[in-house]
Amino acid sequence: MITWIGAATARIADEIGGIVVMTWQVLRAVIPPRVDTRELWKNLYKMGNRSVPIIVLTAFFAGGLMTLQTGPFVKRLGATAIAGWGAGYAILREIGPILIALMFSGRVGANNTAELATMTVTEQLDGLRALSIDPVQFLVVPRVIAMMIMLVALTVIGDLVALNGASVVGHWMLDIDWATMFHSFADNLKPHDFMHGIYKSFWFGGAIAVSSCYFGVTVKGGAVGVGRAVNASVVASAVSIMLLDFFITYLST
Amino acid sequence: MTAAIRLDDVHKHYGRREVLAGVSLEVAPGTKLGLVGPAASGKSVLLKLVCGLEAADRGELHVLGESLGGKREAELGPIRRRIGMLFQNYALFDFLDVAGNVAFPLEQRGGLSAGQIAERVDARLRAVGLAGSEHKLPGELSGGMKKRAGIARATVADAELVIYDEPSAGLDPVTTQKIYDLLAADHARTGATVLAVSSDVVALARFVDEIAFLYRGQILYRGPAATIADAPDPIVRQFVRGELAGPLAEGTA
Repeated sequence: MITWIGAATARIADEIGGIVVMTWQVLRAVIPPRVDTRELWKNLYKMGNRSVPIIVLTAFFAGGLMTLQTGPFVKRLGATAIAGWGAGYAILREIGPILIALMFSGRVGANNTAELATMTVTEQLDGLRALSIDPVQFLVVPRVIAMMIMLVALTVIGDLVALNGASVVGHWMLDIDWATMFHSFADNLKPHDFMHGIYKSFWFGGAIAVSSCYFGVTVKGGAVGVGRAVNASVVASAVSIMLLDFFITYLST
Repeated sequence: MTAAIRLDDVHKHYGRREVLAGVSLEVAPGTKLGLVGPAASGKSVLLKLVCGLEAADRGELHVLGESLGGKREAELGPIRRRIGMLFQNYALFDFLDVAGNVAFPLEQRGGLSAGQIAERVDARLRAVGLAGSEHKLPGELSGGMKKRAGIARATVADAELVIYDEPSAGLDPVTTQKIYDLLAADHARTGATVLAVSSDVVALARFVDEIAFLYRGQILYRGPAATIADAPDPIVRQFVRGELAGPLAEGTA
């Protein structure tokens, strides 16, 4: 048992150390910026544009769900003027950034790990190194930047769609009129509520990007290893999102 | 004359396993040396050491007149740019088409216009019999075509040292002969030093000048390729002739 705990602790410490080293390598590559712009644009498109439909769909229903959960209580208490505030506050500060980050991790992060891991096991990273190209600078840095930018952009879109979802559900299912919902949002939600969520999504993007790249480039063991790397990447991303969310919220309150 | 490759008592471990146990080897400029040996005898590791993709634990390693010992990744760049390498698994970049893969080393090295690069890529693809496949992705190619694309990429920059890791693995005898004819024609054109690893000793012996036999992490024999089947060492003879009975330890072949 003690051996098992020791081995597990050593493995986790090794992986955290590896992630820290990769973060340092990425920072060294972006200050001053030395980024392959072709790779960056390709990743911005692949990771951002193609994620919009799934983000829009989930954000709309998540927003609607917020109103559906809180609506009956605010109606019973006759406080429909704050129905939008309740839903909007939760969406902008917590539900929006977290839900979109988890969706992003599952779709983009997992795909990124699988892609890099496959390139690793088929010696493509060694192929780059043999041509004097640093795989971190060429492959990892554009992906990290693209993920951080695109998660912020998707969170902005997701927030707006979720607020619309909250309004639609409030109007059609709970008979709260459009104007009441709109004023509830406009009068009660502050810019820093929105920025709080955006700030979080920036760091969530960084965490997903670095973990998904790390597990991709350090994979061992062929096809089975690729599966394990994707699994580890999704778990590490989800845990990082929750820990970052807690500490950012704690430090900002 | 300075040797193109010089290894002096090179050791390499992976965990507790000693893969190379004091390898000493010299390859003269412009010559072709074949490296053979049972599976897991350290052939590919030796190639990666020569290319600077792995570092030796102990011993001296000089490539093209430069010592690789203690060099950091960035310092290896100028040496790697003088080496072309064909990987066992091709290592073709799956994010680029065939022409993109072959053009990649030239683009990264710089110094040539887009027109000059296109011209050289076109000439190389015609030489390896891949004219018309420029816009195919690696996933759309057969094993033989991937090898040809890998050879085109390894030789397009007219490297001083070309390393071939299993150039004929998985290919039928006719394609194997075509590949070796291609390598011979390329060597006749450039006069580069060649280090080739292959399990197909007969085909390899027709291409290289000398063959070295790597066994249990050491060079057991080195001699003319034409007489390898009559080598004085019984282990070498058994391996080359493919005989079941003999001193070659079970589990090493």
